[in-house]
Order: sequence, then structure tokens, then C-alpha cells
Amino acid sequence: MAAATLSFEPVRIERDVETVARPSLSYWQDAWIRLKANTRALISLYLVIGLLAFTLFGPLIWRVDPAVQDLDQISVPPGAGRDVTVVNAYTPWQGVTATPLPGEPGRTLAAPAVLAVVGEPTTRAVRLRWEPVPGAASYRVFRNIFDPEPDGALGLPIGDVLNPANVSFEDRLDLKPLTYYYSVVALDGSGAQSDRAAATVAVTRVITAAEAAQKGLIEQASDARPGDVLQLQVHPLGTDYLGRDMLARLMHGARVSLFIGIIAPFAYVMVGILYGSVAGFMAGRADQILMRFADFVVALPFLLFMILFRILFNVQPGDDGIYPMMVAMILLGWPAAARLVRGQILQIREEGYIGASRLLGAKTNYLVLRHMIPNTMGVILVTLTFAVPSAIFTEAFLSFIGMGVAPPTPSWGSMCNEGLKTMLTTPHELIAPAALISVTVLAFNLLGDGLRDALDARMRSTE
Amino acid sequence: MLRYTVKRLIQGVVTVWFIATATFFAMHAVPGDPLTSDKAVSPEIRANLEARYGLDRPLVEQYWIYLTNMASGDFGISFTQQNREVNDIIAEHFKVSATLGILAIVFAAFGGILWGAVTALYRNRAPDIVIVFLVILGISVPSFVFAAFGQLSVVKLNDWLGFTLVPVAGWGTVQHMIVPSLVLGLGTMAFLTRLMRSSMLEIVNADFVRTARAKGLPATRIFRKHQLRNAILPVITVLGPSIAAITTGGFVVELVFAIPGLGRYFVQAVQQLDYTVIMGTTVLYGAFLVFMVIAVDIVYGLVDPRVRLD
Amino acid sequence: MSALLDVRDLRVEFDTYGGTVQAVRGVSFALEGGKTLAIVGESGCGKSVTVQSIMGLIPRPPGRITGGAATLDGHDILRDQKIDGKDIRGRLVGMIFQDPMTSLNPTMTIGDQIAETLQVHRRYSRRQAFARAIELIEMTRIPEAAKRARQYPFEFSGGMLQRSMIAMSLACEPAILIADEPTTALDVTIQGQILDLMGDLQRDTGMAIVLITHDLGVVARMADDVLVMYAGQVVERGGVDDVFYRSAHPYTLGLKAAMPTNRSDAEQTLTPIDGSPPDLFAPPPGCGYFARCPHAMQACEGNPPQAFALGTGHEARCWLHHADCGQDAGAVYREHSQ
Repeated sequence: MAAATLSFEPVRIERDVETVARPSLSYWQDAWIRLKANTRALISLYLVIGLLAFTLFGPLIWRVDPAVQDLDQISVPPGAGRDVTVVNAYTPWQGVTATPLPGEPGRTLAAPAVLAVVGEPTTRAVRLRWEPVPGAASYRVFRNIFDPEPDGALGLPIGDVLNPANVSFEDRLDLKPLTYYYSVVALDGSGAQSDRAAATVAVTRVITAAEAAQKGLIEQASDARPGDVLQLQVHPLGTDYLGRDMLARLMHGARVSLFIGIIAPFAYVMVGILYGSVAGFMAGRADQILMRFADFVVALPFLLFMILFRILFNVQPGDDGIYPMMVAMILLGWPAAARLVRGQILQIREEGYIGASRLLGAKTNYLVLRHMIPNTMGVILVTLTFAVPSAIFTEAFLSFIGMGVAPPTPSWGSMCNEGLKTMLTTPHELIAPAALISVTVLAFNLLGDGLRDALDARMRSTE
Repeated sequence: MLRYTVKRLIQGVVTVWFIATATFFAMHAVPGDPLTSDKAVSPEIRANLEARYGLDRPLVEQYWIYLTNMASGDFGISFTQQNREVNDIIAEHFKVSATLGILAIVFAAFGGILWGAVTALYRNRAPDIVIVFLVILGISVPSFVFAAFGQLSVVKLNDWLGFTLVPVAGWGTVQHMIVPSLVLGLGTMAFLTRLMRSSMLEIVNADFVRTARAKGLPATRIFRKHQLRNAILPVITVLGPSIAAITTGGFVVELVFAIPGLGRYFVQAVQQLDYTVIMGTTVLYGAFLVFMVIAVDIVYGLVDPRVRLD
Repeated sequence: MSALLDVRDLRVEFDTYGGTVQAVRGVSFALEGGKTLAIVGESGCGKSVTVQSIMGLIPRPPGRITGGAATLDGHDILRDQKIDGKDIRGRLVGMIFQDPMTSLNPTMTIGDQIAETLQVHRRYSRRQAFARAIELIEMTRIPEAAKRARQYPFEFSGGMLQRSMIAMSLACEPAILIADEPTTALDVTIQGQILDLMGDLQRDTGMAIVLITHDLGVVARMADDVLVMYAGQVVERGGVDDVFYRSAHPYTLGLKAAMPTNRSDAEQTLTPIDGSPPDLFAPPPGCGYFARCPHAMQACEGNPPQAFALGTGHEARCWLHHADCGQDAGAVYREHSQ
């Protein structure tokens, strides 16, 4: 370095020792900033708000009664076609007769030669006729919704035609707008079965003009003529096994599930806070007795006692069972929060700032309001957030095993229970409520994580 | 250590007594006479039961009879299955539930420790991100959904293979046990993985790990002797409560997979208001959980020398 | 004689959420066998980071060694902690840390933790290693060594834990012992015992010691050579007498003024150094001490001072020593050194 460029003049430096680098933030301001920086927590916060909106305002927008059964659309998956063709009123069918042909004794029966559909196959009736088989004593008709070809499963036997002169069958049994695989076999006197004649039938959904008017699809019966195509009621998420609208049921189920899932933890955390702070303040012998009792309650097998309470509250068939469940949750759920709050209070009591505040003449009320409550709020809030998913799980679990919310009241858990039965054919009935439970639990869990990180005083000190 | 064990065992017995008492009074608070349920028993059995349980005596005396019977291991006779001892019923079904539960907890504990350690070692890299995602899924999905989809995948697997590799439902052979215990352990495993991960992350930068590095120990030895052993401690402390979670999850899995366990039987007994079975099962489950928690605490004492002095 | 440990122009950075911290900015020193080098400076000046990077102990990421070299016996150890395929740590260099309470594994017995080093580096059997561990514990003057070896860290006091740490770090008779603030967490009476122990062991084994501390009393008692660090740089180096009695940097003077002495005759007040160290996210272009220096000059603000040699092995980075400087540096320092 060239000496010529250097100046060795002394300088006076103004030292501002008290400079504060950052504006000072309150606990909650700081927590909110931290929470906002946590993308996952923020997304879950929006999810929680969205779920609450879905529950509170959903039924106001989607005004479908969750109890009404749409018998035209049972177990319909989301987005299924809902066209319906208007037809004339039903007229009975005489059937087709043919002279029975004598058979040669001892020979096995042949399969019916032809299996044909008479008229249009509709959800009202599918009419089948076939060629008589020599020696047949009767015929049997099978229906399957899967192709029987690979392993020869003919499906449901839907009717026996006992008169061999009759070579037709009219199927009016619970038809849906699907493709059916019909099989007809001939039977001899001893009941031995022939090979099958097969027909694949695509059924169209039909309705009479009078029925359409009755269901409110059209103003009056004269507004539609046979051959017109109408649209059935919309079910955005499909229907369940009784034809009830899934979206409406999910919304009303959310009211039950979230009501229990949020109110019950809130109530038992409150009880816990009260109990815990009483124990924490009294300290000594009373504290020990109180906490010993809490230990016992913790040791009770939670779900078994939830079920016992159900008997205790004498839930009758027809009751929805929501309040007994909540009371049971509160009776059994409080000790965790009580322990936590007591621990916090015992810890805070020993903190230097409490002593300092007391030396300055603070009264107990002031200490509690200004120091104790604000310093336990964070922990309580986090506990509450984590208690919500566990309460939702409990509700779902109890309803799932049939010990919680009773049908027909929908809750996500009872909907899962019902959906499980038809899991293989119409999985949407299970997937929709299960997904909602999972999303809710996920959102509250992530929010809880975010809150804990945001409120954790330890992290605040180590920037 | 011995003193500690004895102390914990005495605490356990007192807790079980409390559970039994709570159960007794809960059942006696049920409106109406337990014997006047729909499942009307014949007058002879009724008289027999009344005599046996002293149902005509004062409550305190009934409580005493109940306690002494239970202390001698007699849970009474089923109300709905004629002449069947509750002991027999429990003995038959509890074995199944316990097997299922223990398999599930073993699977959950080992899986949780393994995956938790893996995520911590690969922090913020692909394996960590994938496992953390699965863990979040695992703690958010209810057990019955796992059970349903577990069963569904078994169906699909068998269809695809063309033969029955694992049975869809039922109980009896080792094959029957695999899928239900996996399904049952899954939620707990996710929870333990999460715990293990955070515990490992705390330990990775612990002072004593730095000391181990400064001693020039090979990475595998540091991992095994210094990181793993200390990181497992918090996982062990929650194993007790996890056993409770697994037990309740067992109810669902037994229902879905048609496993003849005690949970399924308990639900049935509640529906039929079979009081003796309900009481017996509740107390037994309670005792089981209490002593499992104690067992876990004692194991913890063996792993963590600091507890032994208490 | 060539140095045992030679560090040249070491630079270490850390990536943090707030940006990159330049924790060590070109530190050089040399350590000879059997000598004690003390590194002094206030918290955050880069003392610990310096030795931890040499030992490969800084977490990477976020830490990063961006320049320099460190050679042990002629081997470059900054890139590879192994010489002849074997780890130098624990074998050639032992290390003890500030907080003995947290620096030992709580779930292993003290004996096992000492024996472990021997098992790994010397291929001792478990039994052999444990027997040697008991000898080492005895050597650090812990009574009832055989019983103590089977106990866990939580059963030890802080001083005994630090003795055990010393026993552990010396198990393989290393040539260098790095002690990172070994007495900071201990009682004053225990501090003295630990320092005596280290001194005695050094005489017995002939090892070199790198002693990191912010306690000038410890430096005076133990060190042969001293390195004064400030804001990631060495501001003064020299023999212990040079640094203490012929201090040549305003920061060293500041440290001395802030140190209590036991001379009861003087009505002495401690003078703290005003202000705080510079922001190492963006180190100042000139002298790091400029903002706090009572002798600051215009040149100091924008020009990093070079090292001025003042005597054998004594140098300081301060513009006051520049030939063109109007102030008499000698006078400034004499005034402070009484």
C-alpha cells in the first residue's frame, strides 16, 4: 500500500451504543410474522378457513336436503351421465310363447339358440326372448354387471321361467343405466343345466312425463313428449347407496364432525386449564391429590370408556348421539391439558420476572392477567390445535365402528362406515368422506406445527 | 432399579383398581336393571345371576363381591351366551388381539426408528422429502381408511397374481397376520418416524456427537453408539401411549379384516349389552395398557442410566 | 525447526438465513511441539471456528472453508482428516470442549467413552482398552478410578467431567491438544486445578497445546505464544511477554483494561470496550476495530492494516506502527502498559 494515500489524522467517532437494530415486536406480532413466513402453515390456515366456510356456508349455497333419496340415481359416481328419456306409460307385456319341443331322454340339453332383446332395453324393463330348447323343463335367467366370459360367473339368478312354453322374460329388477350381461340356460326335469345363451344389453334410463313432472324435472306432464331427453337432478359428488346427495351429506356431516372436532377439544382444554391452574396455584398437597386423580383418568382406556358412556347416556335408536359423545370426550379428555397448564404455571411461578413484578407491588390478579396467561397462551393454543385432529379421529373412529353418531345423521365417520360396504363397486362413497377427514386432520396438524414453531420462545431467542 | 420397578408396579395395581372401580360405577349408573335388557334371559339363569352377583344386595356389597371376584381372576358369566365364562371368552379372543397388537407395535417401532434415522441423515434430500410426505399422509389418514385400502390392495394383488398369496380376511396362519398388523402399525409408525426424525436432527449437532467426531471415530460407529442410542430415548417414552393407540386401532382392523379379536367382541358385547363381558374386557384392557406402559418405562430405565436413580 | 501445525490464511464462511457470515478472514499461525499457543478474543471473533475447521468439525453445510491451508507434520489436513488412511483426530490431535456437561454421551459410561478411542485407533480389545481407560482416569487425578470408569456422565461433577474429557483426548498420546475454552464453564477453583493438570500433562508428554480462551489470566498462566483475534482476523501475535508487556494493538490494550487484577494497592476500575464487533455479514473495508478504537485515524477506515513486525515473532495489524504515522505508537502503548 502506498503511504502517500494514507492520512493519519485522528478521527473522533460518535458511538451510539444504544442503537436498536430492529423495532421491538410484541410476542403475538412476532409470532404472526413467523407464521406468515411458514408456507405450509399458511396454506393449512387457509385450508382450515376453507373447511369452515364449506361447513357454514356450503349448505346455504347447495340447498339439497341430505336426507332426500333420489331413487333414480343410487350409488352414482361423481360426474356420471344424468340424461333420461321420456317414454309412454308402462304397458304390461304378454311375453312370447312357443310350442315346447320334445327332447331325447338321456341327452344333455343344448343351449338356447338365440337370446334377443324385445323392444328398447330401459331402466323400466328389459324384455328378453329366446328359441325353445328341445327337452327343456324350465329356463333360468342370470344377470351380471361384469362380463362372465373369463371365469363363467353368470351373476345374479334373477328369475326362473317354469313354463317351458314361455320363452321370454321381463327383467324389472332394480335396473340401472349400465351395460348388463344376461345369460339364459335351459334346465331339464332333473335340474341339470345347459350351456348358456348370452346377450349384452345397454340399458337406457327412462321416465314417464308424469313422473318427470312429479319430480319437478318439468313444469307439467304435457311439457315433455316421449323421446325427449331430460336432465335428472345434479349430484356433483354422486350419491350414496340410498341415493342421497353426497355433497349435501358431506356438508352436513362436516357440521357434525367439525362441531364435535372443534367444540369438544375447546371445552376439555378449557376444563383442563381451569383444573391445571387451580392445581398449579394451590401447589403442595392439594396439587398432588388433584394431579394423582388426573393420572388415573389418563390411565382409563379412552375409547372403551367412550363406548361405556354411550351405554351410560342410554343412547336410543333414533338419537344422533352427538351430545353424549361430546360429554364423554370432555370427561375423559381434560387431563392432558391440565397437566400441561399446571407444569407451565409451576414453571412460570419460579421465573425471575414474576418475582420482579411482585417486588414492584403487583397483585395476584395482575400477575395472572399480565404474565401467567400471556405466557401460557402459546402452549394452550398449540395444544388446542393438536387436540382438534385427535377429536376428529375419535369421532370418525367411533362412528365408523357404529358407536358414535347414529344414522341417518351424517358425519364423516359414519359416511365412511357406510361407504366401506360398497368399496369395491362404488369407491367414491368411501373416498370422499375419508379424503375430507384426512385433509382436515392434515390442515390442523400442519397449522399446529406452524404455531408451535411460531410461538416457541426458545426459537425466538436463538435467531 | 429394583426399587423403581416395585414402585411402578404398585402404582400400576392402584391404577387398575381405579379403572375397575370406575367401570363398576359407570355400569351401575346405567339406567335400569342390567338384567332387564332385551336379551331376556330365562328365569333360572336370571335367578342364578342375581344370586351370583348379589344384584339384590346394597351397592357397596356388590362392589366388594365384584372386586374380590376380579382379584381372584373371575370375571363372571356372559349375560348373552348361556353358561359361558367371561374368562373363556377373553382367553380365546385376547390372544388374537394381543398377537395383532404386538406385531403392529414391533413393526411400528422398528419402522419408525429406521425411517426417522434415514430422513435425518438425508435431511432435505430426496429420501427425506419422500418419507416426510408419506409421514404427513400417515398421521392424517384414519386407521379404517388404511384398513379398507389395505384390504382392497390385497384383493387386487390376489387377482393379479391369480392365486391367494395373502388371505383377504380371517385369522389363523402367519399369512393372515401380515396385512392387518402392517395396516394397524402404519399410523403409529408415521408418528414415531416424525418423532425420531426431530430427535435425530437435534442430536446430529449435539456437543457429544462433536466430541465423538473429534475422537476420530468412524461415521458408522458415531451413528450407532452415539446418535442412534440417544435419539431413540424420546421414541421409547411415547411407546407406552402408542400401545394404547394401537389397541384402539385394533378395533377397526379386527372389524374390517373379520379377525376374531377382543376388540370386535367388545363392540358386539356393547351392542348386546352383555354387562359382564363389557366390564371384564374394559378392566383387562385397562390393566394391559397400564402394565405395558410400566414395562416400557422399565425398558427406558435400562437404556437411559439417568432414570435409574429415581 | 519446522512447525508441527501450520495454518496459512484460513478463511471460513457460514451460510445463514441472514446472508453469508465471514467468520474467519485469513488467519495464520504456527505451533511448535511442546509449546502452548493461546488464542484470545471476545465471543464471536472466530477463535472456535478456526480450530474447529482445522479439525473438520464445522458442520458443512452451512459452514464452508473458502481458502487457506493447514498442515500437520507436512500433511494437508484441511482437505482430508486422514494421514496414511487413518484419522488424525483422537490419534494425533486431541480436543476438549467448553461445556463438559453436554460434551459427553449421557448413555455411555465414562470408561467406555475413553476406551472407545483406543479401540478405534490402537485396535485394543475392549478389556485392554478399558484397563487403559482406568489408568488414564487415574492420571487425571480422579479418585477411585476403577469405580468411576463404570459410572455415567450424570454422576460426575463438572470438573471431573472435564478431567475425563482430558483423559479421553489424551488416550492415544496426541502431539497436540486443542482446548476450546476448557475452563469457561467451571468454578474458579476447579479452573485452576484443570489448568495445572494440563500443564503437568504437557510437561510429562511433551505435547503442544492450542488453548482458546477469552480469559487473559489463563493466557498469562499457560501460554508461550499468544494470538489475539478480532472480527475473524489476527490483530496481534507474539510471545506472551510481548503481548502482555509490549502490547501493540489498541484491542489488546482494551482487553487488558477490561481484565480484573488482584493487585489490591490500585484503586482500579475496569474499563469496558464500548460498542460491539462489526457485522461480519459485510465486514468493514478497513480495520475491523475502527469503530471502537480510541486511536482511530482516517487511514483506518478504508484501508485494512498490514501486519507490522515489531520484534522477533511479534507483530500487530495497526496503522499506528506505520512509519509515516504522526503519533508515536511507542508512546501510546507505553502509556497504557504503565
